[in-house]
Amino acid sequence: MSRKMFLVLSVIIVFAMVMSACAPVVVETAAPVETAAPTEAPATMEPEPMDVTLRWRTRPDNQAEIDVYSSVSADLDAAMDGVTLVYEPGGSETSSYQDVLKTEIGAGTAPDVFWIPGTDVADFATRGLILDMKSMADATDGFSAGDFYPGPMYHLTFNPETNMTGEALWGLPRDVSTFALYLNLDLIAEAGADDPRELAKEGKWTWEAFLDVAKKVQALGSDVYGYGANAWWGPYGVWINSAGGNFYNADRTACGLDTPEAIAGLTFERQLYVEDKVAVPYGEDSEPPFMAGKVAMFQNGRWATPGVRANANFNWDVVELPTGASGQGNWLFWGAYVVNAKTEHPEEAWKLVQMLTTAETQGKIAALGANIPSRMSQEAFDAFLTFTPPANNQAFLNGIADANKPTAEGPLWAGSWPNYDSIMGPMVSKVLNGELTIEDYQKTICVEANKAFEQ
Amino acid sequence: MQLENDQKSIKQTQMIIKVATYWHFLLSFSGIFLLFIILYEHGFGKIPVWLSYIAAILLGLLSIGSFYSGIQLIKNRRQGRTASLVVNYLGLIISILFLFQNLGVFLGVDALANTFGSSIGWLSGVLIGYLVYTAGDRFHYRIHIEEMFHKIGKYIALIFFAIFLIKAGLIPALIFLAKQMIIPTNFVIVFISILFGLAIWAMWREATALYLNRTNAQTEALEGYLFLSPNLIGFLIFFAFPLVFSFYISLTDWDAFGNSNFIGLTNYFKLFQLNLKQLANSSQDFFNVMDGSIFSELLRFNMFGKSYVLGAADARFWIALRNTIVFGIVTVPLSAIPALFLANILNSKIPGMKIFRAIYFLPSIAAVVGISLIWQWLYNATVGYINYFITIGLDFINNIFSTGYPQAQIRWLSDSRTALLAIIIVSAWQTMGFNTVLFLAGLQNVPKELYEAATVDGAGRWAKFWKITLPLLAPTTFFVITTTTIQAFQVFEQVFIMTNPPGSPGTSTLTIVLYLYQNGFQRFQQGYAAAIAWVLFIVIFSVTLLQFRSQRKTGAYDV
Repeated sequence: MSRKMFLVLSVIIVFAMVMSACAPVVVETAAPVETAAPTEAPATMEPEPMDVTLRWRTRPDNQAEIDVYSSVSADLDAAMDGVTLVYEPGGSETSSYQDVLKTEIGAGTAPDVFWIPGTDVADFATRGLILDMKSMADATDGFSAGDFYPGPMYHLTFNPETNMTGEALWGLPRDVSTFALYLNLDLIAEAGADDPRELAKEGKWTWEAFLDVAKKVQALGSDVYGYGANAWWGPYGVWINSAGGNFYNADRTACGLDTPEAIAGLTFERQLYVEDKVAVPYGEDSEPPFMAGKVAMFQNGRWATPGVRANANFNWDVVELPTGASGQGNWLFWGAYVVNAKTEHPEEAWKLVQMLTTAETQGKIAALGANIPSRMSQEAFDAFLTFTPPANNQAFLNGIADANKPTAEGPLWAGSWPNYDSIMGPMVSKVLNGELTIEDYQKTICVEANKAFEQ
Repeated sequence: MQLENDQKSIKQTQMIIKVATYWHFLLSFSGIFLLFIILYEHGFGKIPVWLSYIAAILLGLLSIGSFYSGIQLIKNRRQGRTASLVVNYLGLIISILFLFQNLGVFLGVDALANTFGSSIGWLSGVLIGYLVYTAGDRFHYRIHIEEMFHKIGKYIALIFFAIFLIKAGLIPALIFLAKQMIIPTNFVIVFISILFGLAIWAMWREATALYLNRTNAQTEALEGYLFLSPNLIGFLIFFAFPLVFSFYISLTDWDAFGNSNFIGLTNYFKLFQLNLKQLANSSQDFFNVMDGSIFSELLRFNMFGKSYVLGAADARFWIALRNTIVFGIVTVPLSAIPALFLANILNSKIPGMKIFRAIYFLPSIAAVVGISLIWQWLYNATVGYINYFITIGLDFINNIFSTGYPQAQIRWLSDSRTALLAIIIVSAWQTMGFNTVLFLAGLQNVPKELYEAATVDGAGRWAKFWKITLPLLAPTTFFVITTTTIQAFQVFEQVFIMTNPPGSPGTSTLTIVLYLYQNGFQRFQQGYAAAIAWVLFIVIFSVTLLQFRSQRKTGAYDV
């Protein structure tokens, strides 16, 4: 090959590469599993004259969820005239979902619609990263924010400028979740302890009963534990909530971790770890020992169910959390679909957010077992309850029932949640590891944590 | 006739230089005009502030450079040609980058792998064409057959290459490009790029060069810089610019999303804001002596019989700095000393040694994420293998010596006394392999004659190691220690993956880079994170400088 020809070919290759990069991205969407349009149509909007492409993203936990979301995307694509949907599973083994998303928002390449955890809503909204859809929602026939759990909607409709709820709409909750105790029934039976499910039915599932079961199981051996939970704000938060305490004061403008109620909750939890030593040491991942059959009661959310189904080689079920002075103290975890403030198609994006949160769509996701529908609809609950084991699915629904006063996971509108968490977490960790006394903790925690409200 | 042609050529060249001069003045004034728009009119309100500053600086430099070129060209000086070529070349590059950005080429590059992957099979036809072409060389004694093979080979290659390009999406890409060209902005950028290209051609042509009295040195310098330019431009864009930009960011409260205010050295003041107070007694409450809304307790100590407390506005920064320094001080010897001894062992000529060398090197090339996850499992206090094997060992000792050692339940990653050590072990283990290979390379450069002479003098193995190996390995040891120190001060991945939440228990494994990451990406404080990054840079730079100085003093290796 002559030098000239080689040169020409090289130039053509480079040119072709650049040209191909210029071409609009061709995205392969998964074939729809079911082609039928959703039965519960979202509120209607004016049909769009132009064909637009909407990118949307949510954080799936596994490949099965990616497949279902792809299928949902294909179904909605077929149902939305003039709109082409592109689903992007977010996160990977080596990159956090939120980090990638924030980087893309900074670079201006984030999708039109994306999911964020409930705690991030304030940060995203106050920085102008997500769209307030209130005006579009008001103009939409048939839409009602009251169809969703009120806890998440309180924050999703909060207007930081007026400090009033119901005056904005930042998104709609994708799903909700809550804690339950995953039980190793074999271990509990071996220890001769009462079955927590029976105690719960009889209304005797209290902190004392819980501690009794934990102690009996722990007596089986030094490598066996009555209770296990992972080290983040969720698990220790329930003990604080259950004792009648809260992370914040009533209007969420200051720290509430030093109140007698909050201290009572943490003191009980410290007893599990430090005094009675019935719990997997704080900071250790409790899931492996639970799967290995060495933990009787493993506190985790609904998202852990697929993993337990796949890996537990013992009889297991779930039970709701034990009640303290103020009930279960459970969390209502949630995340929301929000619309990128820079989207070029806000109306189509709003329509997509509605369609992603219909009872039918949520039912499909809930049928995988990892999530509880965020829409308070019997259809969605039925889909959730059909997913067994665990036999006692109702324990999750009980956890978020109004009667049990769950605390909605919430963003901090008056401060910085990441800062608050980074102050609270290490100090609680020191308490539960026995490195800090409850008295010293009570003296310092709110002085330190209140700094998160000054930012 | 020849004279006439020469005069015509000179006139043509003069005209070209004249046009180029006008072009430069036009460019200069346009640059100044745009600069005014950016600085006073906020004409590019949509672009971020930092980008408008960069645009202003570039436009300023372009205007000055262009004006200088114009002046020099009027005087027919060769410097005018050089400056003109530089200005136009950079202008062309910037215009093309602008065009690519507008066309979405940088984002579309991600799709290239898919696009080419789907049509790459057609390139085998090009290979066949090439084989046919080269097969013709066998018939060089029959030229017409050779030429026929060459022709067929070329056509086969061209046809398959055309198919490859079409399958790769060239036609829709061209249609897309044509549509994009209708957009006025793109059209203007292409037009400006062509003007820059023409200006380069006008100055590069031989006749212009001769007219402006170019010298060989000038030609060599221009060609040299032209070859250097891809690397130089890459360095400026991807290294020098981010470095300067990050310093600018550290003087702002930028949150990465466009919200930014210049706050001077506030971030640095906050990092270094310390307060030392004397205590009435060693157990006096911190909040009695210092304002808790500003300071957090960092350290309590006794000196000359009196108790003191040190408060910091950002105590976590100091804790992270301390953890990082401890990590570096322990990790460096732990990964260098065993590596030195391993290298000595692996330097021997016994069968299968190459396999051992490969095994020791494996951790260095394995993914940090994978390794960290595996070690996390190994360290698990309840079901981890490390505690399991320690327990087996203890059981064995208990059985043999009738002792009563309890089961090992070391909380490697959940106890603040052991967590950092656990991370250090993993990091040292992972770095050791690479250091071993470096020492091995150093050992193989030590002259064998020295060992032979030492043997003759009656030196033992140990004496040879201390008197010959170690001194002659000084350059390698210096390199190993310097690079391992820099690496240790930047530890992030292991802590991020192995501890949950990262930096726990408490703040016992919080390192500077992790803290930087938390501020930048989790708390939306990119300005503050950039300030931390600069402090880390100064720390690493100082430590490295000290290492260089101490190395010079020994005189073993003159760097």
